[in-house]
Formats: sequence, structure tokens, C-alpha cells
Amino acid sequence: MAELDEIIHQPLRLRIMAALNALPVSTGLEFARLKKLTGATDGNLGAHIETLARAGYVAVDKAFVGKKPQTTVTATAAGRGAFARHVATLQEIIVGKQP
Amino acid sequence: MIDSQQASAALNDINEIVHRLRQSQIYQIASLIIIMWGVLVFAGYIANYTWPPQGYAIWAVIDLVGIAGSIGIAAFSSVGPGAGAFAIRLLMAFLLFIAFGIFCSVVLGHYGPRQMLVFWPVFTMLFYALAGLWFGYAFIVIALGSSALIVIGYFYAGPALLLWMAAVHGGALVLGGLWMRRI
Repeated sequence: MAELDEIIHQPLRLRIMAALNALPVSTGLEFARLKKLTGATDGNLGAHIETLARAGYVAVDKAFVGKKPQTTVTATAAGRGAFARHVATLQEIIVGKQP
Repeated sequence: MIDSQQASAALNDINEIVHRLRQSQIYQIASLIIIMWGVLVFAGYIANYTWPPQGYAIWAVIDLVGIAGSIGIAAFSSVGPGAGAFAIRLLMAFLLFIAFGIFCSVVLGHYGPRQMLVFWPVFTMLFYALAGLWFGYAFIVIALGSSALIVIGYFYAGPALLLWMAAVHGGALVLGGLWMRRI
């Protein structure tokens, strides 16, 4: 029986992973765009990205564009796999294969 | 473990965020194209005002550069699987729209220079407004706003219509594109 991924299941982390997973492989989203998409605050978003990064689900790249710091978040292969399994488990729950 | 309602809510949340991401990607690409057209038509109106006899040649060049630039921006900004085919369908729809415009303005209508000057921008804005029904309200706002200003100019700008069009058509496209990048 497949288990829900507790790291991804948290609502904001689910939204972050959903957005990153919809991008082509190796393409990331800037922190500001991710913030706008998810409707999260800076601190909240940063904390949840760190949780995902610790689990190896996202890679965080910090760089300077001109003089402005820019943080880009990208889903890793492990993150994409975990997200796909999480979605499959959700679908199984809906069709009644799981309690 | 969660129940099926909670699982369904989570899947809806995923679909919602993917939809918002796609819309944001469309806005990013479309805004670049709209700003480019704004700059081009601004230059076109000023050139047309400066050298009136060269009007047809000026607008032929502006249109060709604009279409090539739009295709270039769309091609280099492919957002994912299926985006290329979608962009080609959108381009085909746009070309059919233009063909219909030529049929109306040249074959049926026999419009004069002043009518032509107003017909094409308003007609292309109609395409933006229709696109907005699928891609987001920003297109509709830009289309309705600039069309209203163009029609006001047609009735009240007199001989300064070309300058009016440079300001309100070119300006509205540039400002609209910049606004679209912020939402």
C-alpha cells in the first residue's frame, strides 16, 4: 500500500512542488514568482523551501543578477519522483483503492 | 491517512497552481510581444506622420518586423510540451483574422486612409480581447482600453490623428505589456 509523502503533503509544500513539477526538467522558478503563485509570505515560503531542500526534493540556486540577489528553486529528479508517487496515492484514495 | 474528499481537495489545489503557472508563463511571453508591438507601432505612426507618402511601405515593414519578432519571441520562450503546436495554432488563427480584415477593409469596405488607420488597430485589439477569454483578463483590459482611446481619436483628434495614435496605441501597448508583467 502506497503512503502519502508527509513532506509533500503539507499544503504550501504541495503547491510549491506542483508548480516546479509542471516546468520542464532542470527549469526552475525564481523565489519572487513562486511567492506570487503560491500566495505565501517570504518567511513562510523560505522555511518550506528549506524543508523540501533538506529532503532532496528541490535544489536552491542563489545568484546575483546585476546587483540584485536572485534565488531560483528547481525540482530534483528525486522530488519529481516523490511528487508523482504522492499524486498517484491521492488518486488511489479517490478511487477507493486505499482506506 | 486522509479521506477521498481531502485527497480530491489536494488534487484540485495542484490543478489550480498548475493553471496559475501556465497563465503566468503566457503573460510573460505575451507581455514581451505586446511591448515589442507597442514600440513598433509608435515608430510606425511617427514615421508615417513625418513621411506621409511612404505610409504603405512603412506599415508593410512594421508588420513584417512585428510578425517575425512575435514568432521569434514565442519560439525562444517555449514553455513546455505542446507549446509549439499551440503557438502555431494561435498564429494561424491570427493570420485568418488578418485575412478577414483585409477582405473587409479592402474588398468590401474601400476605407479611406483615416478609416484604415483606425480599423486595423481596433480590429487587432478584438483579437486580443478574444484571446483574453481564454488566457486572462489582462488581454481584455488592454484591448478595450486602447480601442476606446483609438475611437476617441478618430472622432476628435483631427489632423493630429497619427500623433494621437502613436501616443494612445503605441503607449497603451507598452504600458499594458509592462502592467501584464507585474500581475
